[in-house]
Amino acid sequence: MPDDSIRILVLSAGALFAFITGFIIYFVVLYRNKQAINKQEQEQLQAAFQQELLKTQLEVQEHTLNYISTEIHDNITQVLSFVKLTLASIASKSEGEIKIKINESRELVAQTITDLRDLSKSLSFEHITSLGLVETIEMEVERISKSGLIGVSFIKQGDAYSLGEQRELVLFRIFQETLNNTLKHSGAKHLKIMLQYRSDLLNLTLEDDGLGFSTETLDNKRGSGLKNIENRATLIGGIATIESAPGKGCCVKVVLNPHKPQFYTDGGTHPDRFS
Amino acid sequence: MSIIVISYGLLLLIVWGIGIIRYKKLTIPFKVLTWSVLITFLLAILSKIFALRYRNNVPILQLECITGYIFYALTYYYLFKNKIIKKSIIISIVAISIFFVFNALFLQPFQKVFPSNVSVLTQSLYAIFSLLLFKEMLQYPLKLNITKQSIFWYNTAILFYATTMFFIFGFANYYKEHNLYDSIIYYFWYFILYAFHILIGVSLLTDNKEITSTYA
Repeated sequence: MPDDSIRILVLSAGALFAFITGFIIYFVVLYRNKQAINKQEQEQLQAAFQQELLKTQLEVQEHTLNYISTEIHDNITQVLSFVKLTLASIASKSEGEIKIKINESRELVAQTITDLRDLSKSLSFEHITSLGLVETIEMEVERISKSGLIGVSFIKQGDAYSLGEQRELVLFRIFQETLNNTLKHSGAKHLKIMLQYRSDLLNLTLEDDGLGFSTETLDNKRGSGLKNIENRATLIGGIATIESAPGKGCCVKVVLNPHKPQFYTDGGTHPDRFS
Repeated sequence: MSIIVISYGLLLLIVWGIGIIRYKKLTIPFKVLTWSVLITFLLAILSKIFALRYRNNVPILQLECITGYIFYALTYYYLFKNKIIKKSIIISIVAISIFFVFNALFLQPFQKVFPSNVSVLTQSLYAIFSLLLFKEMLQYPLKLNITKQSIFWYNTAILFYATTMFFIFGFANYYKEHNLYDSIIYYFWYFILYAFHILIGVSLLTDNKEITSTYA
């Protein structure tokens, strides 16, 4: 009897160990597969982000070049032409008038130099890196205000902190895209921009008092533009919400957690947990 | 005292020593685990003293049962990310403690009977926690090689311990009911304890706060 018991015990123990070992081996294989799948997904996300970033950089550059081209054509060339004509006409003027015309021309040239200096600041998207998001937005706000196209107010709450070059660039592009939409389609008289820095979140809100629209009846172009804003916000770990109704203006809000690491941003240096 | 018991004591001391030497590098759950090894060591010594002097080490086995659960459940509390499971673990610690007192007072007297009721319950909970943690590991896999993850070794240790203890209880009961005794159960019991604490030692060796924070 004891011999039988020992045999049963040894066999049962062996079966139990084999089962546990089998389970652990199965788990390890499953875990490694999951790691491989997640690694692949992470690489795809990283590639998508890099592609989107490149697109964003090109768009910001294109936007800047359009702005520079318009400024040179509508402002600087006009002013310099006016100065040229003024100077060409002074030969027939009296000495007192010549002095006045030269002074006027000097002031205009000085203004043009200031305008050119401002333009040189917006020659590259790299100024986001050197100036930071707040100052870059302030510059855009100043530019739009000067143009007189729309009344813009900008409120910054909290102490500004850096989100990293790439995230700030994408966020700036969202801002720029929303601003363009407002200028082109909204017919708004006033745009309120708010940038709220809190320790746990960053909130960028752009609210206009324009015509508004129904999100269901948007044409493809505008619809995809808004979708683009949402996708970009997701890529930097944020959430974009667009609220609008006919006659009630439009409000675009981007909220993101500044501490949530994005493994595919900032050179992909964050070895973050998968999924 | 037999060589097996002395070796077991030495093994516990070595595992505790690993924990203490690497204490600053350990994450919170493995710091808790380090102290649980010390408590196990002290209770193992007390158990032997009681057995030799009073021919009854049941009170110590009762204490071993409840302190073991508190420490291992607490370790799981820190390892899990799921908030519902975390809450459940805290509730289970309170519930098991209350049941332990009730059991010691009314069902299996503290000084006379091994607390098999509590033990079966805690072993079941260990097995459940272990399987749930394996599931959570699959949900949030780290980039780190699995054999370098302390959580894997700890969880394997607990799964092994919980399931084999059931097996031991079953056979011990069978032998008792049939008035049989075989030293193989005794050796098997110590084999499980050895394997369990070796795995715990590996988990304490592989745990690293810096690596975990980088990959987690």
